[in-house]
Amino acid sequence: MSVTEATAGTRAKAGAETSRFTARQLRYRLLAIAGPVGVVLAWFALAHSGRFSPLIVVPPQDVGRAVLELIGTGELWTHLGQSFHRLLSGFAAGALLALVWGTLMAVSRTVEQAFSPLFNAVRQVPSIAFIPLLILVFGIGETFKVLIVAKAAFFPIALATYDGIRQVSKGHLEVARLYRCSPWQRLRHVIVPAASSSLLTGLRLGLSRAWGVLVAAELFAADFGVGQMMEAGRQMFRLDIVFVGVLITGIIGFTFDRGLQRLEQRLTRWRGTAVTA
Amino acid sequence: MSTLVTAVTQRLGQLGRAWVVPLLLLAAWQWMSSRGGAHGYVFVPLQTLGATLASLVASGELPQHLLASLTVVLKGLAIGGVSGVIIGALMAGSHSAEALISPLFNAWRPVPTLGFIPLIALWFGNGDLAKLVLVSLAAAEPMILNTFQGLRSTEQRLIESAEVLTFNRWQLFVHVQLPSALPSMLTGLQHALGFAWIAGIGAELLFTIGPGLGGIMERAQMAARMDVVIVCVFCIGLVGLLINTLFRRMGSWLLRWRDAR
Repeated sequence: MSVTEATAGTRAKAGAETSRFTARQLRYRLLAIAGPVGVVLAWFALAHSGRFSPLIVVPPQDVGRAVLELIGTGELWTHLGQSFHRLLSGFAAGALLALVWGTLMAVSRTVEQAFSPLFNAVRQVPSIAFIPLLILVFGIGETFKVLIVAKAAFFPIALATYDGIRQVSKGHLEVARLYRCSPWQRLRHVIVPAASSSLLTGLRLGLSRAWGVLVAAELFAADFGVGQMMEAGRQMFRLDIVFVGVLITGIIGFTFDRGLQRLEQRLTRWRGTAVTA
Repeated sequence: MSTLVTAVTQRLGQLGRAWVVPLLLLAAWQWMSSRGGAHGYVFVPLQTLGATLASLVASGELPQHLLASLTVVLKGLAIGGVSGVIIGALMAGSHSAEALISPLFNAWRPVPTLGFIPLIALWFGNGDLAKLVLVSLAAAEPMILNTFQGLRSTEQRLIESAEVLTFNRWQLFVHVQLPSALPSMLTGLQHALGFAWIAGIGAELLFTIGPGLGGIMERAQMAARMDVVIVCVFCIGLVGLLINTLFRRMGSWLLRWRDAR
């Protein structure tokens, strides 16, 4: 890392007159590193100034120690495993239902007219507001968490499916009809490719919503899970554990988002070469 | 004449179809509630829900808590919105500021807002201040993003015309970049409002001290008052819808000058 930067630096100095671009790029890179480094340094300084109790400003090394401790005892994996299990079962159920639902709403006018008022009404209520309701009906066990995750994933994905299918161009469908494609062929070769971009965006949004709601639900009531780990840390005034939790939720959120974005780019790569309709 | 009749029947048919499913569901709900025992607990009879709503409104409890929730949300929206615009504008205006801020912004963005609750609770307690901090954070994020993107995507030819007119940097910002960024910023504001409303309800559910819709909902859950919980869910959805519609109307009214193009 430092070597590449050093060479970039000399190159920038050598060609300062000819390419101001490199110098500017270098400055940009340095500043981009300076931001996070500055925050960590300020954090160190604050923690060691003695003005704040470690209960309020936990030293960075304590957070590192908490990570190692949580990994060492295997606690972290238990929490992560539980959270992922809930997320995947809820998301899979919500996403599957949403794909079917969105398709039905897009294909049939009757279904659309009959169900869209209901759909739009329930969509207005934030997922988190359903938590007390679901706890009263299903108790504080697994059911309510899986259901709330499914609800959070369902609406963005159903909406994206509906929009994606609705946006399939009439011309493409007519060509498919001229070629006497079967309904299955039409779905496989015309509708799915045309709707894929919207669908993947919906899946990405649904996954990130589902993750956010799951963490909140685990803050409420759970025996294990990343949210519960943070909540327990808060109750024991273990700021280091709370920090680890925030870091982990962020890393997981980032990974999901980036992963699906990559998938989206890869799956819709053919679009770039295609002639725009 | 006959086309008019067909149009009317068609419209009536559409309206009918839109109402069939909700009405059937309500009827099924009412039927389930009449089956007694545990059914009556989950499927609260509609007349009980109506009575609960009426008594919550009459006692002044619901309006008071609703007002408290809206106050927190609007205050947070103001704080988060203004700081979001300032940070976004700084990032769009200066490459150095962008280089300095964007890694931090990108590290903060993927953390679910409600995931900050334990941290905020340790730093700011669990009262009004903690709620305000959370709502402001939720509102700032879309505002930063949309301000930045809006200002950055000003059309090049407009900037070039401004250069020809020898605008200084401030004039360029006020007369060219800001107007062209307004649609994006209004979208940001609308997202900020939605996020703030969700964060406000979430904060009230977890920080139950003090007034707020989320607070009464959580207390009702503890007391197993299903009727109150359902009425609250209904109110939260309705208010969310109302403020959303209001803002969208306001946005298109503010941007009506764009239609002239």
